[in-house]
Amino acid sequence: MAPSAIDRKRKSVPAEHNEASESDVESEAEFGDGLLEGILSQSESEDSDEESDAEEDSDEEELDLDALEALDSDEIPSEDGGSEAEEPIGSLVKSNGTKTAVVALREKPLPDEDEDKPNYTITTDANGGERYVYEEIDPVYDSDDSDAPITTNTIGDIPLSFYDSYPHIGYDINGKKIMRPAKGEALDALLDSIDIPKGWTGLTDPATGKPLNLSQDELEILRRIQTNEMPEDGYDPYPATVEYFTGIEEIMPLSAAPEPKRRFLPSKHEAKRVMKIVRAIRQGRIMPYRPPEERQEEEEETHYDIWQDEVPRPDHIMNIPAPKIAPPGYDLSYNPPPEYLPTKAEKQAWETADPEDREKEYLPTSYGSLRKVPGYEKFINERFERSLDLYLAPRVRKNRLNIDPASLLPKLPRPEELKPFPTVCSTLFRGHEGRVRSLAIDPSGIWLASGGDDGTVRVWELLTGRQIWSAKIGDDEGVNVVRWRPGRDAVILSAAAGEDVYLLVPPIVDPEMDAASRELLDKGFGHATNATQALTANGARKEPVAKWTRPGSRLEDEGVLIKITLRTTVKVISWHRRGDFFSTVSPTAQKSAVAIHTLSKHLTQIPFRRLPGIAQTVQFHPSRPLFFVATQRTIRSYDLQKQELVKIIQPGARWISSFDIHPGGDNLIVGSYDRRLLWHDLDLSTRPYKTMRFHQKAIRAVKYHKGGFPLFADASDDGSLQIFHGKVVSDMMENAQIVPVKVLKGHKVKSNLGVLDIDWHPREPWCNSHFTKMSGFPKLVPAFTTHIVLDPPIAVGSVSKGAHLTIAPFASTNSYLRSKATYPIKVDAVFAHGSDFIRQDPSGKHLRLDVNSVLKDKSGAVISYKYSGVMTLTPAIGAVLQGAADAKSTEFGDIVTHVLFETGGDGLRALEQKIYVASGRFVVEAGKPNVVEYKISEVTA
Amino acid sequence: MAGVPEESSRQGQVQVYFNTDSPDIELPEEKRQLIVPTDVRRYGLSQILNSESMLDTPAPIPLDFIINGTFLRTTLDEYLTANGLSSETTVNLHYVRSLIPPLYEASFEHDDWISCVDVLSGSSRAGTWDGREVLAGQERILSGSYDGLLRIWNKSGQAIATSVSSSAGGHTSSIKSAKFISPTQIASSALDRTIRIWKYTEAEDHFSAELKPVMELYGHKGGIDSIDVHGPSNRLLSASTDGSIGLWTTQKSSAPAAPSNMITSGPTAKRRKIATSTSTPQRGPLSLISSHTAPVTAAIFNPLDSTVAYSASQDHTIKTFDLTTSGLVDTRTTSHPLLSLTALPGISTQLLAAGTTARHITLLDPRMSASSTQIMTLRGHTNKIVSLSPDPESNWGLVSGSHDGTCRVWDLRSSRQGTKDEGGGLVGEAVYVVERESQKGGAKRPVGGEGIKVFGVAWDKDVGIVSAGEDKMVQINRGRGVTRAESS
Repeated sequence: MAPSAIDRKRKSVPAEHNEASESDVESEAEFGDGLLEGILSQSESEDSDEESDAEEDSDEEELDLDALEALDSDEIPSEDGGSEAEEPIGSLVKSNGTKTAVVALREKPLPDEDEDKPNYTITTDANGGERYVYEEIDPVYDSDDSDAPITTNTIGDIPLSFYDSYPHIGYDINGKKIMRPAKGEALDALLDSIDIPKGWTGLTDPATGKPLNLSQDELEILRRIQTNEMPEDGYDPYPATVEYFTGIEEIMPLSAAPEPKRRFLPSKHEAKRVMKIVRAIRQGRIMPYRPPEERQEEEEETHYDIWQDEVPRPDHIMNIPAPKIAPPGYDLSYNPPPEYLPTKAEKQAWETADPEDREKEYLPTSYGSLRKVPGYEKFINERFERSLDLYLAPRVRKNRLNIDPASLLPKLPRPEELKPFPTVCSTLFRGHEGRVRSLAIDPSGIWLASGGDDGTVRVWELLTGRQIWSAKIGDDEGVNVVRWRPGRDAVILSAAAGEDVYLLVPPIVDPEMDAASRELLDKGFGHATNATQALTANGARKEPVAKWTRPGSRLEDEGVLIKITLRTTVKVISWHRRGDFFSTVSPTAQKSAVAIHTLSKHLTQIPFRRLPGIAQTVQFHPSRPLFFVATQRTIRSYDLQKQELVKIIQPGARWISSFDIHPGGDNLIVGSYDRRLLWHDLDLSTRPYKTMRFHQKAIRAVKYHKGGFPLFADASDDGSLQIFHGKVVSDMMENAQIVPVKVLKGHKVKSNLGVLDIDWHPREPWCNSHFTKMSGFPKLVPAFTTHIVLDPPIAVGSVSKGAHLTIAPFASTNSYLRSKATYPIKVDAVFAHGSDFIRQDPSGKHLRLDVNSVLKDKSGAVISYKYSGVMTLTPAIGAVLQGAADAKSTEFGDIVTHVLFETGGDGLRALEQKIYVASGRFVVEAGKPNVVEYKISEVTA
Repeated sequence: MAGVPEESSRQGQVQVYFNTDSPDIELPEEKRQLIVPTDVRRYGLSQILNSESMLDTPAPIPLDFIINGTFLRTTLDEYLTANGLSSETTVNLHYVRSLIPPLYEASFEHDDWISCVDVLSGSSRAGTWDGREVLAGQERILSGSYDGLLRIWNKSGQAIATSVSSSAGGHTSSIKSAKFISPTQIASSALDRTIRIWKYTEAEDHFSAELKPVMELYGHKGGIDSIDVHGPSNRLLSASTDGSIGLWTTQKSSAPAAPSNMITSGPTAKRRKIATSTSTPQRGPLSLISSHTAPVTAAIFNPLDSTVAYSASQDHTIKTFDLTTSGLVDTRTTSHPLLSLTALPGISTQLLAAGTTARHITLLDPRMSASSTQIMTLRGHTNKIVSLSPDPESNWGLVSGSHDGTCRVWDLRSSRQGTKDEGGGLVGEAVYVVERESQKGGAKRPVGGEGIKVFGVAWDKDVGIVSAGEDKMVQINRGRGVTRAESS
């Protein structure tokens, strides 16, 4: 666009030049082509886009200007110099840029004029034609003198009004008339037609007859509509949601609810009470009014005026003179002296003070004369308050502190933001008989080892829950603890059963690793024999603390390679991170409770001769040579290199069950049997940084996640695990952030023991827990329901057996036996006949049931249904049996029977192969015979 | 009087254009455009199409409707609102035969947990690789069990062949994965760190067969979780818990010798070895790629290009390998440990589906150029997803087996926008849930899928969905036409 504009300009300017040369010969020499071009291009470049825009318009404007010219003869803007007056308006008013260019044309060539020679030389080019070679333009200050003052009107200092009657307004330097500039409607109309103003619609407002233009606001609305925005100004389409109800469900909600409406309603209960009194008054039970004489008599009897006959007496300690009533002062007067009248400030202070804060109840006021004293102004007020008093209405406004309870809670992130953490039970590992005491995930995260009361150590595939390997190491004692040796260079599992600690290499690894592990275990056999054995004082050989031996060929075949026999039962094993040392704890031993074993030397040492309390558990520090020993109340940390006590940590728990050290090494969690979970910052204090008590029962185990997730978990006897987010920040100034994120339930609590041990996967946020699991015991599968309508029993009485015998026949056809919907054997039978032989124990507390009956199934098969059982004679059952009027349906649990089926029916033979038991109750409904309802279950393994 | 038109105008109407790929239920051109009320759902539209004026079908054919690549699961009105469309637009409704729930067909009982299943049929991969065609009715189902035995079944539930025990050259530990290489060759991997190649020969009457160990492949240091085979190139891929991926050849002659330190094992194993003293040749890997930092749970060939392999690992990554150079090409990191992997033909490009421990399936675009890693997540399982199999007949279908005791059938076209809790993105939901037949009747699925965990699932065109797991059953559900109309 710019180049085309320039082209057009170049075309138009020579035309100007020609016209100028026609009209003004004098200046002809000044218009050198080269000079012109040079300056033009210069001005073009100076005035950039604005210029070119104007240029673009200029062509079509020219027409209008010509028309205007014709209209207004030769009107020229007065600002332009007289020399330009001859030039056509078209070229003058084109734009500022052109104007300055033209001015420059006139001014610039002056120095050239002095030298009086053209600024080009004519040479011949290669074709023999003429060639103009222009001089270089020296770009000095004067080369473009557009700043030079424009010569204007030369009429001097006379008012312009002198020229009012003329078409011109004066003369320029050349004596030419300066024509009056176009103005008013003509110019406006011209300008309006040139640039379409903003908001121009081209319409005429029919009301005013003026052009109907759009205002800036209206334009803005149009723009918004076009861009699909809301047309209204200041409308926010996406305001921040103000939630009336929060979507977050609080576990322990705090309420700041406003007072309920009932607090503001008249009490119905009170109205009732009042009405009761009113009725009593009406019925004359309350005498509304007593004869005044009696009261007066009583009052007179009970009140004494001790100063009734007061006479002046000498001062004595036993003599209490009647108190003197202060005489009325001047300030009480209706017209007190001016010094008693309050000043303006005092008056204001009195008025602003609360009534109860005022020193005086009244304000001394001067009325001038008694007849100007007004009535008692507080009269109505006092009556009203008195009425309120009588109605017991509270009048004192209590300003309670209005605090949003939620603002008092510490700001904790929401658990959802702290993911990942374990949320669901993913795998159950079923197979142990009896309790599972301990478990551990191997360092590679593929295997899970567990040990239980059945004396076995089992290794499971962590992902699927498949048992891969098991070894029975404790013959009569359960396995108390299993732990993997840390490190990926070998796979060694340690387990403790009774006083023996076993080191195992489960056959789950490749031969190379297996060999490496075995070598690691066998390496120490030389050392043990070489070690000098300590002698006691009397020279006898001292019994070694622990014996490292082979466990025997049976166990060796299974992968159990070393057995370390200690003196007492080992409860805890804790490995050093390098895998060469491990420590065991036998809480029942006095002196040798804590032992540290060196794997490479088969050496056992007792680091503590005496411990202040019963040792509970031990841990090696994850990075420094520190050793932590927990007794019942305290945890002591020892420096293994300097062999000294470093710190005593006092969690304040009564009985520590377990503790774990944060992988960073500066924090510690402690779980205690008194249900507390304590977080210690070792740098901060020996006291806990945070105490948490969320469990119903003792905490058994606590564990940090060691693989980089800021998680820790505790396991409790209440059968639940709690997962916490515990972020330790490296910044010393900031405390660790602890957020409980999840409670995992699902473990059954058997004999008050819940979750006994937990462990984390080495890398992932998966957590495993083991619990008291009772597989191998039978379970019950719901099978049938029977409904036996009892006929009136026949009492046989005491037969030779010496016990009462009663026979209850089942004759009603409403008696039935039906399968549960979920049970595979489908039976729907009615009782053909049968009876219950009920015998009472001599003690009278139990009834022995013996039922022999025949059922007929819908399929046509006949089933013999026998059961024998015991019924506990509770008062409720007694009432039913005696047919007492107040007899009610009883609960299940008092009647237990063992059921036998016999049948020849097809599809029902399975009944004979199974064992069934039942629990029963009486159902009593008014107007119907009593019914015995049994729920029968199949016993399965 | 004015009630009826008023109501219909309130509900609104929309112009729809019906089209389909199935020529037998195609509408005549002039009937394809229709104005329907916007409050109809799939059922209403299906009724409209089945009506006399439209298709005039003798028996109603349940139809499903796809708009813009996803199934219509709401009313048209809700769809238009959700997608910000005006009711003046013409909605293009692509209709397909509705999905038929996979029906239970049979269960084959085992002695122990079953870890994997594979199917040999005329349309299965192994069946098509070999020149010999598997006749209809001669389909075979292969199952690998935790008792260390492979079993081959015919469709009527007869165990045709059982592999030999460990004393006669079989696996010494639980089998984790087994695949047909060809109708006569089978590969299996186990926790005993070996892969075995078996020769499968069937008797003339097809009622008895023999499984003979041909080769033992040594090299992995951990149990081998999964294998994949490519018959034409005789290549086998394995994924092991030691974090390495093995590339093997199934040809005895071209296989390198087995590493000696892998074969000699500890005293117990040695004794066992001496006792058996089988003469099965032992071979080693063509290459072992140790690129993952955690157990590798699945390794598969690219179905279109057998020189490209993908692997999924518990270290959250999916890696792409170039098998000719055994070089790592690309690593895609997800946010969860991955347990299973399969390749889907996808709609326009190939997709990888990976089952995670976080109970969902992640769909990824494995191409290097793909900018967004996760395309879609399929949610619905309540436990780890350990097995995946693509729909043999559809580009959009797959079936997954999970430890929650269910197999779920997914269709990628059935998706919605995920909520913020789910991390946004497209979320797919299961089309069908296949329960374990052994658990049917039980009111609730046990916690953690105990006793009914599914370990392996395979989907074959001729046989259906074959799944197996902790309940010691191989279960067959006829999954034909689940995500695609039967080509009747």
